[in-house]
Amino acid sequence: MGHGHHHQHHDHSHEPLGEGEAAPARDLTIPDEDLSPAQLSRRRMFRRAGLLGAGLTAAGVLGTQAEAATATPGGREPKDGYLWLAGDHHIHTQHSGDGIYRVIDQVRHGNAYGLGWVVITDHGGATHAKIGVDKVNPDIVAAREAIKDTLVFQGLEWNIPAAEHGTVFVAPGRREVETLKEFENSFDGSVKGAGANTPQNEALAIAGLNFLAESVRKRRIPDALFLANHPARKGLDSPHEIRGWRDAQPSIAVGMEGAPGHQAAGMPKPHGPGGGRGYYDGGPGADSFPGYPAESYKTFGGFDWMTATVGGLWDSLLAEGKPWWITANSDSHTVYGDTSERGPGSDFDANGRYEDPVYGGVPNTGAGDFWPGYYSRTHVGSRTFSYEALMDGLRAGRVWVDHGGLISGLVVRAGTDGHGRRGVTLGETLHVRRGDRVELTMEITLAGRPNWAQFVPTLARVDVIQGDVTGPASDKDAFTTPNTKVVQSYEVGKSSGTVTLTYRLGRVDRPVYVRLRGTDGRRSAPGLLGAEVDPHGPQIDVHGDADPWNDLWFYSNPIWILPRR
Amino acid sequence: MTSRPATGGPTTGEPATNGPTAAGPTTTRPTASGPMMVLGIDAGSRSLPEAEHVLRTVARALGLPGGTVGCTHFVPAGLAGDEPHIACSLAVPGPVPPPADVSWASGGERDGPRAEGAATAAAEHAARRGGRVVTFPGHDLLTGTMSVAAIRDGSAIERVLVLASPGPPGDDTLVVTNDHVRPVWRDGLMTLLTMPAAGGRITPAEVPDPTPCCADHT
Repeated sequence: MGHGHHHQHHDHSHEPLGEGEAAPARDLTIPDEDLSPAQLSRRRMFRRAGLLGAGLTAAGVLGTQAEAATATPGGREPKDGYLWLAGDHHIHTQHSGDGIYRVIDQVRHGNAYGLGWVVITDHGGATHAKIGVDKVNPDIVAAREAIKDTLVFQGLEWNIPAAEHGTVFVAPGRREVETLKEFENSFDGSVKGAGANTPQNEALAIAGLNFLAESVRKRRIPDALFLANHPARKGLDSPHEIRGWRDAQPSIAVGMEGAPGHQAAGMPKPHGPGGGRGYYDGGPGADSFPGYPAESYKTFGGFDWMTATVGGLWDSLLAEGKPWWITANSDSHTVYGDTSERGPGSDFDANGRYEDPVYGGVPNTGAGDFWPGYYSRTHVGSRTFSYEALMDGLRAGRVWVDHGGLISGLVVRAGTDGHGRRGVTLGETLHVRRGDRVELTMEITLAGRPNWAQFVPTLARVDVIQGDVTGPASDKDAFTTPNTKVVQSYEVGKSSGTVTLTYRLGRVDRPVYVRLRGTDGRRSAPGLLGAEVDPHGPQIDVHGDADPWNDLWFYSNPIWILPRR
Repeated sequence: MTSRPATGGPTTGEPATNGPTAAGPTTTRPTASGPMMVLGIDAGSRSLPEAEHVLRTVARALGLPGGTVGCTHFVPAGLAGDEPHIACSLAVPGPVPPPADVSWASGGERDGPRAEGAATAAAEHAARRGGRVVTFPGHDLLTGTMSVAAIRDGSAIERVLVLASPGPPGDDTLVVTNDHVRPVWRDGLMTLLTMPAAGGRITPAEVPDPTPCCADHT
C-alpha cells in the first residue's frame, strides 16, 4: 500500500538531467559557477531540501524525492513513492578464475528470480585487467538488450589493497570499460601485489577511491560506487580502514555487505558442502586486524558479525551519524545443485575467460552459492527505473535486505507524532525541534507467496534497534558503541497480508538513529554484547549444518533523528 | 594477565600451581621436565602453513621431542619487516644452538634482521598471553571425535570454550577434531576455541583447510 503522494520539497523547476550530468550538482568541490543551469537548479533543490553539507549526515545522504516513480517494464508498482528494486551487487561469471557461467546465464536467472538490477563483479587480477574487463563488456551490453527489465551494471570485485574484496561499479557510459580497466590496473591489490596490511597499501586503497571520485567529477563516468564485500570474513577490513574509505569519499564508498553470499555453504553433507555458512570458515591471519575477536570470523543468522552484532561495528559507524549502508548478495560463482560444468578446452589465462559451461549431468552439491535473487536480495528505493536512479537510491541508503523472501515489502517512515507517515524514509534524516515526539511507522508486506524453496515464510518477530548518535569516533578502530540496543520487539507470526507497526520514540532530545530487523524466529540467542542489548539476536551458525532456509532475517538501513540545537 | 615488556623481566608463574620459576628473560612456567626457555624464530612467513613448516623444521633440527610446545605469533607491519607476518616460538629445555637461516631470540640473545619479531613471539609465549599453539603435549592423540574431558585429560589443553556461548561446554560434549587442533593462549591458559557443529557436537573454530579468497567450487 503506497501513500501515493510525496512529502518533501518536490521541485518542478529543474530540467531533466542526463546521465552524468546530475553528479556534479551534489559535488561541493565544484563551485556553483561551474555548473550548468540545470545542474545549478538541481543543486539548489538539494540545498532547499537540506540535503547538501548539512547536519551530521552530510556528504553521502542525498535522498531525493524529486520525481514520481513510475511503473517499470517489469510491471513493478511504486510504493511510498519509490520503485523498490531488488538487486545483487556481487555476481561472478566465466570471466572470474573461479567462475563458470556466462553473463546472460546470471542475468536471466536474476531476472527470473525477480531482480531489477544486478552488478557483474568478476575478480580483479592480472588476467582480468588484461583481457576479461574488455571481453565481459559486450556480453553485458548484450544482456542489457536481451533483458529489458533488469538493469545490468558492469563492475569488478576489487581486491582492496591491504583489505578484503569490494564491489566497484559504474553507471553505463562510453568510457565505463576504460575507466574500470585503468582503476584495476592502478589500484587492484592483486594486480599491484598490494595485499599486505601495510600503511602504504592502505593509502593505495584510498587513492583508488579518490580516482573513482575524480572520474565522476570529471564526467569521465556518470557515477561510481564502492561497497565492501564479506567484510569480517578474514578480519582484513579493520575498523579504521572502513572509516577511512567512508570519510575519504563518502559519495563513492557507501557501505558493505551486511550478509555475505555463499549462503548454501553450510548445507549439511552429503547433500551439501558441509562448510561454514557464507564460507566464513577462516580465522585470523597475518593481515587480520588483531583486535577482532574469534567469533567475528563466523556468521550469525547468515549475516556478517559487523552487522549481526547489535551495538557492534556497524552500529559504531552509524553512531557517528555518518552513512554506511548494508546489502545482501549472492556472490554467485557456482550454484548449489546445479548440473553445469566448465566448458571443455578452457584456458583462462590465455583467453581471460572460461569456455561456455556445458551440461555435466551431476548436481554439484559441493557448491555453496545460489543464483542471484534466489535467496539474498538488496531492495533499493529507486525514483525511476534507471541506472542513475538506482545508484542514487543505493547511495541514499533507501535500502533494506532480506533472505529467503522473508517479507515482500517494507515501508518505513519517521516523523513527529501523528505525522509519522509524512516524515522521512530509510537512509534519511528527520530534523525535529528538541523535545518533539517522534514516531516510527513500519508497514510490512508479508511474504504472501512461496519463496524459491517452495514455502511461505512466516515473519515471527520485528525488532526496533535504536542508538545514540555520539559524533565522530575518537578511536578509529572502535567496533562497539555503548548506547545502541533493541528498544522494542513485535510478535507478528503471520505470513500473508500487511502489518503496520508504530514505535513511539517519545520526546527526542538528542540525536538518535533507528533501524529494523526481523526474523522467522527459528534460531535466536542473546546478542554478543548481552541480553540487555539484544535479547533475541541471531545465533552463531552451525558449522556444517546451516540450512539457510530455516533461519531467515531481514535488516533495514537506519533513519537518523536530529533535534535542532 | 598484566602485559609485560617485549623482552626481559622475569615472569612469575600464572596459575597458583606454578610455584616459583627460574628467574631470567623469557622464562616460562615449568612443565613436566622443569623450567624452560622460549626460543623465538622469525622467517617472515606470510601464511600459517608456511610458519608451521618453519616451526617444525627448526624443532627437528634442534632434536626437540614431539610434544614440545611450539606456537605461531602475528607480527605487525613495521616491527620486523615492512609486511605483517608470522613468527614462531618453541619451548626449549635450556640454551640451544642458534637455528640456521632464521632470525631468532632466546634469553637476552638475538640475531638476524627479524630478531624483533622473534623476541615478540618468545615474549608472548613465555607470558602465555598470545600465540596459537601448533605442537604441545598430547597433540598427536587428538584425532577423530573426542569428549571435552578426554581432550583436557589427554593433552596440555587446559580449557575448551565455544564461540558466542556464555559458558564452557559440558565435559561430555563431543568435539569433532578434524585431526587439526590449534589451541591459543588466552588468560594464561592453553585454550581450545570451538564452534557449534552438526549433531550437537562442537568443532575447533580453526578448520584444517579454510576457504581461500577465491575458491573454485566447480
